[in-house]
Amino acid sequence: MRLNVARAVCRPQTCLQRPLAPPLLRTASAAARRSYAFQAAGSPVFDVFNRKTKWLQRERAAAHVEQSRQADYLKDEVAARVCERLLDIKRHFPRVLDFGANSCNVARALAADNPDPDPTMPVSPPLAAKISELVAADSSETALYRDADLPFNENGQMRVSRHVLGDAESLPYEPALFDMVLSSMSLHWVNDLPGVLAQINRVLRPDCPFIGAMLGGDTLFELRTALQLADTERRGGMSPHVSPLADTRDVGGLLQRAGFKMLTVDVEDIIVDYPDSFALMQDLQAMGESNAILGREMGALSRDVLLAADAIYRELHGNDDGTVPATFRIIHMIGWQESADQAKPLPRGSGQINLKDYLENK
Amino acid sequence: MQPKTRPIQRFAEAVSKCSAEAAVYGKCVVADYNAVHKDKCAKEFMRLKDCYLAAAKGSK
Repeated sequence: MRLNVARAVCRPQTCLQRPLAPPLLRTASAAARRSYAFQAAGSPVFDVFNRKTKWLQRERAAAHVEQSRQADYLKDEVAARVCERLLDIKRHFPRVLDFGANSCNVARALAADNPDPDPTMPVSPPLAAKISELVAADSSETALYRDADLPFNENGQMRVSRHVLGDAESLPYEPALFDMVLSSMSLHWVNDLPGVLAQINRVLRPDCPFIGAMLGGDTLFELRTALQLADTERRGGMSPHVSPLADTRDVGGLLQRAGFKMLTVDVEDIIVDYPDSFALMQDLQAMGESNAILGREMGALSRDVLLAADAIYRELHGNDDGTVPATFRIIHMIGWQESADQAKPLPRGSGQINLKDYLENK
Repeated sequence: MQPKTRPIQRFAEAVSKCSAEAAVYGKCVVADYNAVHKDKCAKEFMRLKDCYLAAAKGSK
């Protein structure tokens, strides 16, 4: 009886303390020996795109030389805009890498006369004069050599060499080999974007820039929504037809994570009008930009869905003159490889001038 | 080599002859595009498809 009373008086915490003490000690000593789970630098890659399919699509597209040249308008335009950014860097680049070169659109843009579109400026020499050697690297051999015989390859200043990559997502170059890396319209097919950006950072010399452009954000949202609605209405469900794309906000973080400094990220929309949605799809195919999402539905779109999608596209997004617009959102990025003599932000609170006073008195 | 006219081009040409039916179908789907379900506009679609089939037959 007395024992029972004593047990009832004992409060739960004090009662529990004694039996728990030895195990607590044991876990502490075990923790010292245990190796913790950690996240390695090569964190798990979530594959989104089928690389083999993408490679095949690009090879096939480039094999139809005339069609693929006709559909190069977007890549040429973006390449020209990427190269325009070089006007601001007063420097000579002995060796430059063009990663994901497609059909050497960047080399063509670099060799173009008078790259500065500003009519008030005097005629400037081609940007190729700033570059000694351009290494154009791409995984699709047919695309890379499609225009190897054209005159822009021999422009007297810049030597263009082509390099077929075994894998579209790895750079087989030694560290600190290049004085600049360019990339136009290819990074949006990369599964492991953080990894590729880190590799680009690695092959750059200190204080050298990476200038890239890729599709992102709301690219092709018209086609995406039209196909989604058509799929839902005709078949009662949907399958992915337009790639998931990086957003502008993500790109800054990605560049920072890859170790780039002095970042610039900006966005441009290019809107192209097509006679109908089929012309858009044909052109995307000729660009080698067809759907390559893993887990997409195999085989062609059914005619019912195509028929429905065209009607919905026109109704939802169509222009008054009967054409349909397609938006391509280009995300431009510039990052610099870190260097000791680079300009750095001043420490917080070190400003001497009140910006408000300065701007008000101006 | 690709054939001179690809099937998609013939398809596009036939579809372009049915713009009136396409507009009716498109309006039906877009009218309430947050609540689209299977066969929401089946009647309008069949009319569009009949028109397309007739146009495709005529062009051959």
